[in-house]
This record gives sequence, C-alpha cells and structure tokens, in this order.
Amino acid sequence: MSRGVYVNATAKGRTSERFLSLLWALVVRDVTSRYRRSSLGMWWAVLQPLILMLLFNMLRGFVDIPSDGMPYVLFSYSALVPWTFFTNAISSCGPCIINNAEIIKKIALPREVFPLAAVVATLFDFAMSSIVLACMMVWFNVPVGRSLLWIPVLVCIMTVAAFAVGSLLAGLGTFRRDFTFATPFLTQAWLFVTPVIYPLSTVPEKWRYVYMLNPMVGIVEGFRNVLIKGAGPPWEPLVMSVAITGLLLAVCRPLFRRLSEYFADVL
Amino acid sequence: MCTKRAAAARDHHAEKTMPEEVTIRIEGLWKRYGFPIPEFVRRGVDRLKRRKSADNDGPWALRDINLEIRRGETVGIVGRNGAGKSTLLKVLAGVTTPTRGRVEVLGRIFPMIELNAGLHMELTGRENVRLLGAVMGLSRREIDAGLPGIQEFTELGEWFDKPVRMYSSGMLARLGFGVAVNIESDVILIDETFAVGDLKFQNKSLARVREMRESGATILLVSHSLETLQFVARRGILVEEGRLVAEGTALEAINAYETLVFRSEQKRLEHRVRSRISSEEVNIYAARLYSEDGESLFEVPAGSPFGIEVDIRLNRPLRRPMFSLGILNAQGILCKWNISEEDGLKEKGIPGRYLLRAWYPENRLSNGAYEVHFAARDATSFETLERIAGIVSFAVTGTRRARGIVAGKIQWQLIPHKDRHS
Repeated sequence: MSRGVYVNATAKGRTSERFLSLLWALVVRDVTSRYRRSSLGMWWAVLQPLILMLLFNMLRGFVDIPSDGMPYVLFSYSALVPWTFFTNAISSCGPCIINNAEIIKKIALPREVFPLAAVVATLFDFAMSSIVLACMMVWFNVPVGRSLLWIPVLVCIMTVAAFAVGSLLAGLGTFRRDFTFATPFLTQAWLFVTPVIYPLSTVPEKWRYVYMLNPMVGIVEGFRNVLIKGAGPPWEPLVMSVAITGLLLAVCRPLFRRLSEYFADVL
Repeated sequence: MCTKRAAAARDHHAEKTMPEEVTIRIEGLWKRYGFPIPEFVRRGVDRLKRRKSADNDGPWALRDINLEIRRGETVGIVGRNGAGKSTLLKVLAGVTTPTRGRVEVLGRIFPMIELNAGLHMELTGRENVRLLGAVMGLSRREIDAGLPGIQEFTELGEWFDKPVRMYSSGMLARLGFGVAVNIESDVILIDETFAVGDLKFQNKSLARVREMRESGATILLVSHSLETLQFVARRGILVEEGRLVAEGTALEAINAYETLVFRSEQKRLEHRVRSRISSEEVNIYAARLYSEDGESLFEVPAGSPFGIEVDIRLNRPLRRPMFSLGILNAQGILCKWNISEEDGLKEKGIPGRYLLRAWYPENRLSNGAYEVHFAARDATSFETLERIAGIVSFAVTGTRRARGIVAGKIQWQLIPHKDRHS
C-alpha cells in the first residue's frame, strides 16, 4: 500500500518569512499571556530557580557537597539558571500540541513551530533569571572576562537540545498522554545525572564518559566555567554535548514530522 | 446528469475565455483516520495478543475520490452528517494527510473552517488579530497592512482593544471572520461559517465571498444551509459514505442530496409501526402505495397522483364503518387527513376480507419522506377498532426544491404603484 501524497505548490520564497512571523506571534502570545492575571507576574521566572537554590543550600547544611572552592550560592545558581530553562522548556513542549489543538485541527502549518515557540518563550524566563544571576555576580565580585563570549554558543546548544527532546515528547505525548505524565519524573531523574547540585569533578573517573552522554553536562558545566570561573567551557563535555544534541535533533526531528502528519486525526 | 455537466462546463467556458487551469486535482484519494501502524508492528502485536490479524483500523472516511476543480469555480459540497465533507476539506487544506492517493493544490489555500481557532482569551482583539493573521500564514508586514481594514470590517469599535474573554460569541465570530475574509488567497475552503453574527454581518460576509469569487478565487463550500449553497456555488458534488456519488450543477447536487435524505428517512419510517391499538374485530394484512396503472409504488414522483391500498378483514358486521388516513411528514406534521365517511364512502361493513383503496388525485405534497397513519372505527358507537401509526411510508421526489409543506407554483406579479414616487 503506497502512502498518500499531498502537494501544495506555492511560492517557496516566503515560507521562511511566514514561519518566523508565526513563531514570533506564538512566542508573544505565550509570554504575554502566561503571567497575565498573576500578581507576581514575571517574578515567577526568577523565583523558581531561587527557591531551588535555597533548598540546595539547606541540603548542603546536612551533606557535604564540594563546590570547586566557590560560594555555593553562586555555584548552584549558575547551574540552576540553564537547568531550570531546560526542564521548563521540555515540560512546556509536552502539552503544546494539545493546547493548540484548535489551530492544528483546522489550519495547515509547520507543526514544529509549536514546540519551538514553547522553547523560545521559555528563553524569556531564562533572561529574567539571568538578570538575578548577574546581580549575584556583582555582589560576590566575580571577575568577568572574554569568556562571557561563550554564552551565546552555550544558549544555542541548550535551546537546540531542549527543542529536540521537547519535540519528541510533544509528538509522542499527543498520541499517548503517558509521555506527558512521565515528563516530571524524567526531569527529576535527569537532574540527578547532571552536575547541578554537585560538580563534575565528584563523578568517578571511569564513569565520566558515560556520564557525559547527557548533553546537559557540557552545557551546565560550561555555564559555570564561563560565568564564575572566568574560563572557557571544558572541552570534552562540550564536544560531547554538541555531538549528542546533533544526534538527538537528527532522530527527533524526522520522527516528529512523521508523527505530526497525524496530529489532526487524534486531537 | 453527464450531459448537463458538459453543458455547464461549456457555459463556464463561454463566461471566461481565459484557458482554464486546474487548481485542485484529486486522484484516487482514500482517507482513514489515525496513525497507520506498519504491517510488521501489527503482526507482532497480534502474535503477542494471540489473535487473528484483521485489517480494521477503523472505517474509511473517504473512498476513492477523484475530482478536478478549475480556477474560479465555486463548488458546493453536500452530504449527510459524517459523509466525509469535512474530511475532504481537511485533506485539501493539508491539515491531515491522505492515506492513499494523490492530492495536488496549486496556489495558496486558505481554510475558513471555524474561524476563531486559536483565539487566546487573555489577549485583546488586536493582539488576537495579529496572532490569527500569523496562524493563517501572513507575514508581519501583511498583518500590519491589513490591520485597519480588519478593524473596520469587524465593527467592534472600542472592544477591539479589550480582552477577548469579555466578548460575546457573536463578537468572537466576527473577529475570526474579519481576519479570514481579508486574506487574499487562491483557494478558499468554507465550512459552515455563514451562521455567524446578525443578518447584516452575514450579508456582508456573503458579499465578501462573492467579491473573492469575482476576483478569480476558487471556492469550496460546505454548508447545511442549502439556500446559501445554491446562492454561492455554481457546481455541486454529493458525498455519501466517503464516496463521491453525484456531481453536476449546484442545484442538481442539492436535488440528489435531498432525494437521498428522503429515501433514507423513508427507510427509517418503513415497517416501524410505532403504536397500534387493536381489537380482534379487524385484521390488517398489508398496505401499499399504487400508481395509476395499479403498480406498487415506493417513491411518488412530485405532483403525480397515487393511491393507498389496505388489505383488511372485518370480523363483525359494522353498520357504518369509518376509515381514516393521515399523511405525516418526517417532522411529524400532519399534512393530509381524510375520513372515508366525509368523502362519501357509504358501504356497509359485512364481515369478510376487503381491499380498501384511497385515491389521491391531486398530489400537492412537497418533496420529502412521509408516513401514513390508518384507523378503522365504527361510526355508530365511535369505538376505535384498529389504529396503526406508520402503516406504510413513502418518499416524494422531484427535481424542484422542497420548500414548505405544500408544493406548487404560484403566480407572481410586480405591479408598479400608481404614484411611483410615494
């Protein structure tokens, strides 16, 4: 049985422009509507990593956690900012297809735009919590240098990784809600295999390469190095991160596309 | 119907001397909903669950549709609920993928399917217009250019800058429609959208659709309002159980559709004796409709006479037997009711078997499905001996549209008033 074919011959040139304006409109919608009718508004974006940081600090009161000789507040917060972005991004991707069911059922558009918009909208929260991070760096007198130029690179890898994982969850979650329900457990487990609470140096040498298969290792360690150690990101984890992120994208994107053809059927 | 179609095509050709381009081509389209599970996975699951493989992923929503639509045509799609009209539009819009076959669309396609898809309640009308515009495939520059026109079209005034959650449903629909009609498109799919807003807004929307038609857009239209279809569409297709069963002019398609509906309603009414009051004094064996030459009828051509025959047995002598026949339409409205005594049947009821015949020389029933109620009484005591609701059912079919209960042309005149300027 051969598969059905749908061809729509339109002028190709302007599709990317349309894609971008659609992406922008969805991001604006998500960002402006998310905190409307909440008293704290945008502060929620800051509060979330801040509370986690305080929790980790309390935890450190009972358990000895090394912090590579840096103030633990700064040590944990600098990792929590990218980490919170990652978890929020992938968990907002999960239901993004179902939330936009009304649009998807009626109008043909590239469906990748929905998880992508969810990820990009989360970048705004990331920017907000970064401002607090900058204030903390000033407070602790952290010397900054040219290493900050790495930040855009790290943000890019982080965004792509979140989009790859997020779109996979979005695609599968549309067919089976189990994936959406499982996402919080996934992110919690993922937190423990990412050097957020503890430094990479505590991971035993022989496990380190397996450990680095987690793309967030290179990203989180990278942010920490760049921001508070004034150094470039560690090479090995970074290269691994880029490679694994690329692999994830190569697998998740075609899978999402194939699944997305049938979204309208199951919504 | 074929020759008429050819004639329609010729007319169409005469109207536009431009060479006609095919904007939509559908070849052997089959559609079944749901993610197609590959054969090997299915076999694996079957083996696990220890059951026989059956090719039942659910029913086909569309079966082997072949259709070509040229630029500038307006095509109305009719069919009953669940026949596959909306699925066809969805496949054309590219919302859902065809299971088999090939669908080609040339040019920008725009579905006006329930227009307020994607409105966000917390955003204002203006913000939502930007969002809808982007969703409908406009770039930001196009949205900026179109915004004043849309604001004017929707007639929302100061509400335009208020959150959409404060809107009434009519305002919501106006907002969505305002964006939709202001989008320039080559192919437009319309699904049940004319029912929005008040009459004035509906007329405005219809006028806009006509404008788009005049500017050469191809329009596909699904509506349950046959009036709208007849008004907007020139060509029509009838879809039934996922198949394209008839095509021709809009009127032909609508007629085919109505005949289909009447027939199925008649099937539903058939042999459905809803209530029966019975005494042992009368037996009814059969009932049928017959034509002038005595043949049994199941469908009565509009305007032609017919008769109802009841095979009956009287078991006791009746001094004044009185029969009544009522004809009800599908909505349960009594359209005709006759009593034998009033119409002059004066026979005495001696026990025995009879054929009771009632001839209707003037058939003014309009197209539709009907059922017959029958009762037998004794006029002296007025006791009911037998009463059957739905003793027989039939359909009246014809080429003219069914309007109202009573069929027939009337004479119209438009007479100028003596004082023309008053």
